[in-house]
Amino acid sequence: MNYMPGTASLIEDIDKKHLVLLRDGRTLIGFLRSIDQFANLVLHQTVERIHVGKKYGDIPRGIFVVRGENVVLLGEIDLEKESDTPLQQVSIEEILEEQRVEQQTKLEAEKLKVQALKDRGLSIPRADTLEEY
Amino acid sequence: MFRYESLEDCPLDEDEDAFQGLGEEDEEIDQFNDDTFGSGAVDDDWQEAHERLAELEEKLPAAVNEQSGNGERDEMDLLGDHEENLAERLSKMVIENELEDPAIMRAVQTRPVLQPQPGSLNSSIWDGSEVLRRIRGPLLAQEMPTVSVLEYALPQRPPQGPEDDRDLSERALPRRSTSPVIGSPPVRAVPIGTPPKQMAVPSFNQQILCPKPVHVRPPMPPRYPAPYGERMSPNQLCSVPNSSLLGHPFPPSVPPVLSPLQRAQLLGGAQLQPGRMSPSQFARVPGFVGSPLAAMNPKLLQGRIGQMLPPAPGFRAFFSAPPPTTPPPPQQHPPGPGPHLQNLRSQAPMFRPDTTHLHPQHRRLLHQRQQQNRNQHRNLNGAGDRGSHRSSHQDHIRKDPYANLMLQREKDWVSKIQMMQLQSTDPYLDDFYYQNYFEKLEKLSAAEEMQGDGPKKERTKLITPQVAKLEHTYKPVQFEGSLGKLTVSSVNNPRKMIDAVVTSRSEDDETKEKQVRDKRRKTLFIIEKTYSLLLDVEDYERRYLLSLEEERPALMDERKHKICCMYDNLRGKLPGQERPSDDHFVQIMCIRKGKRMVARILPFLSTEQAADILMTTARNLPFLIKKDAQDEVLPCLLSPFSLLLYHLPPVTVTSLLQQLMNLPQSAAAPAPSNPHLSAVLQNKFGLSLLLVVLSRGEDLQSSDAASELAQSNPWTEVMFVATRELLRIPQTGLAKPISIPTNLVSLFSRYVDRQKLNLLETKLQLVQGIR
Repeated sequence: MNYMPGTASLIEDIDKKHLVLLRDGRTLIGFLRSIDQFANLVLHQTVERIHVGKKYGDIPRGIFVVRGENVVLLGEIDLEKESDTPLQQVSIEEILEEQRVEQQTKLEAEKLKVQALKDRGLSIPRADTLEEY
Repeated sequence: MFRYESLEDCPLDEDEDAFQGLGEEDEEIDQFNDDTFGSGAVDDDWQEAHERLAELEEKLPAAVNEQSGNGERDEMDLLGDHEENLAERLSKMVIENELEDPAIMRAVQTRPVLQPQPGSLNSSIWDGSEVLRRIRGPLLAQEMPTVSVLEYALPQRPPQGPEDDRDLSERALPRRSTSPVIGSPPVRAVPIGTPPKQMAVPSFNQQILCPKPVHVRPPMPPRYPAPYGERMSPNQLCSVPNSSLLGHPFPPSVPPVLSPLQRAQLLGGAQLQPGRMSPSQFARVPGFVGSPLAAMNPKLLQGRIGQMLPPAPGFRAFFSAPPPTTPPPPQQHPPGPGPHLQNLRSQAPMFRPDTTHLHPQHRRLLHQRQQQNRNQHRNLNGAGDRGSHRSSHQDHIRKDPYANLMLQREKDWVSKIQMMQLQSTDPYLDDFYYQNYFEKLEKLSAAEEMQGDGPKKERTKLITPQVAKLEHTYKPVQFEGSLGKLTVSSVNNPRKMIDAVVTSRSEDDETKEKQVRDKRRKTLFIIEKTYSLLLDVEDYERRYLLSLEEERPALMDERKHKICCMYDNLRGKLPGQERPSDDHFVQIMCIRKGKRMVARILPFLSTEQAADILMTTARNLPFLIKKDAQDEVLPCLLSPFSLLLYHLPPVTVTSLLQQLMNLPQSAAAPAPSNPHLSAVLQNKFGLSLLLVVLSRGEDLQSSDAASELAQSNPWTEVMFVATRELLRIPQTGLAKPISIPTNLVSLFSRYVDRQKLNLLETKLQLVQGIR
């Protein structure tokens, strides 16, 4: 935006704290230090934030270089409003545990669903087992 | 490497030589095998390299005093010292965990060990790296010996005398994937996509271009969140003696002894005499501050320095600027990155990206923003009069030691690429919404100006310089006189995978279904062709405005021609004949896109042509209504039809009404039922059209006072019949019209008596209250 109003450019976002959502579902928070024409990002003092329900936990990760195609979205974090959140920060072990529990319940629910469908003779193909065309 | 099957195969003449040759070959082969699989195979471990570095520290005082011109000899001596330890280390080759590494633990104990990361994480890679980071820091804090780091990065070999050179050149494959294999294209030490540096580093012997695996990190554990004040910024580190950032290979007190690599690099890059690069000069350069990681790599460092000098390459220009201060002692370096980078930024106008093809308002906005940014940065050092938000933001900028890692030059480079992507031959085609948006903005601001009567801004005309479209026809390579064609395929000339030949079938073979399908396909095709004609015609207005005077008649002719083509397409061009069948048109009208297209074309047609279309539509309306049941697109035709109606003479209107209602030609014998009319009335569009037609007729009638007296007005006759029909029609499921004209009551009152008028009113819901 600095140079080309009306276009989207990350140049104005450099050296600011950002939240980046990746395609694999991870949430990274870090200072955007460098970009390139593919929107590859260099994140500094990055923290991976895991959210489970109303709790979250931060894992410090250091420096990240993210390939541009893996980014879903990113946005600047207002440093003043950053602490103004209803979410509760917990320790890393706790959040990992919560995440594990959440994954488990999800898997079980999925299993039940698939079983129910199978009983009725239906099957929903999973996205990853579909053939690409 | 040829081998003889048996000894007997050897030519007897060269017995001894051959055997000797074989023997030598064998030795070589053994050597190679040994290296790959046997004891000679050294696990390239960067940790090993660092261990060696650690031990070198201890040997430093001895090494520093040597002013050896032959660096290699020193290296060999030092290598020899390690021979005994080599075996020991080889046995410890496989280390499960970095933390078990005795060397690392030793090093860690010498420094205060920081608290382990919170929680026992499984993410050990990050753990490990942080631990190691602390270790490597102190290692490099000491001055490096005269031994070149490169040699240490290579795997250790016991000294082998004269074969050393060959060993090093052939077996010294560094660990990185960018290792140069002899004979392969030269390695770029810097990845291909990086922005160009001011000074092109000349390419060297491939071997030398091994990137150094040594990393330097500032000895600062990245704790989260670490307030900025606590940590030392690299600026401050520069001033601290013996800090890691100053851990340049060349200690300040000793005239630096450079390896051939570094000497050559300096020669090529800096254009200074070799050996004159004092670290003070490095310390002065703020780019050093901004890139601690690159600090240890002189080549990259020179790149950085080069980037700091936008207008003039070479150190001389930079250092000639402040002449009296060269070379200052390290402690007196500038206070921070701010002033230098500000200098850079003030030179930024030279780097302004090419904005010529932007909309002029863009340019204005762009300048505005640049001004804003400049003001912001100028306020950095001055008193911040702005709100607290701004000042805190600036505080952060000020206190952030890692700011501006990405140089202005690099930002410009990225935006330049983005600009290049915006270049286009036809901006209206490529970026229609952008162009329209800014046109609207301009109109708005112009309108505001007219109202406000404020200061007149310059009215900039929209000029978009267009990149010339270059047509490259690729001709594949052909040799004359050759019997075949080369099967070379490239990006421009892809190989043909399938030979798809179009065969047209004969009429007999086709089944009815296929015929129908083909017909539909043909209709679709015609619709597409006509649509592109329509888009072109709609575009002519804009082109007209942009074109020169001479070109305009040509444009008008083109436009007319296209309109004729469109009409022909719609009606089905039959050369030299009347148009007996509506079939073609009806086919088009059966398709949703066709209907919308006709609605868009109508304004461009002449009155006669448009009337023709309207008549045809009216004639076939029930059929069209049936086909439109799913799409319900017909109502879009109502407004162009209404507009058209206002231009039609009374005769046409009359006949139109007849067509629409399928009125019998003679008033004498009415048909028992009129399904045509019922269908029309039951459809929204049909009913609306009918009402509009009636209204128009009424307008014409009432406006033309003279004909009111003449009873034999065809319109009047038709109206009589019409009203009769309308009365006859049962009121079943009448549609709700889009709009009801107001003069219908007066229309009908002319032709029917009171009672029937009421009937009609209720039936057609002509009175407001009933609805």
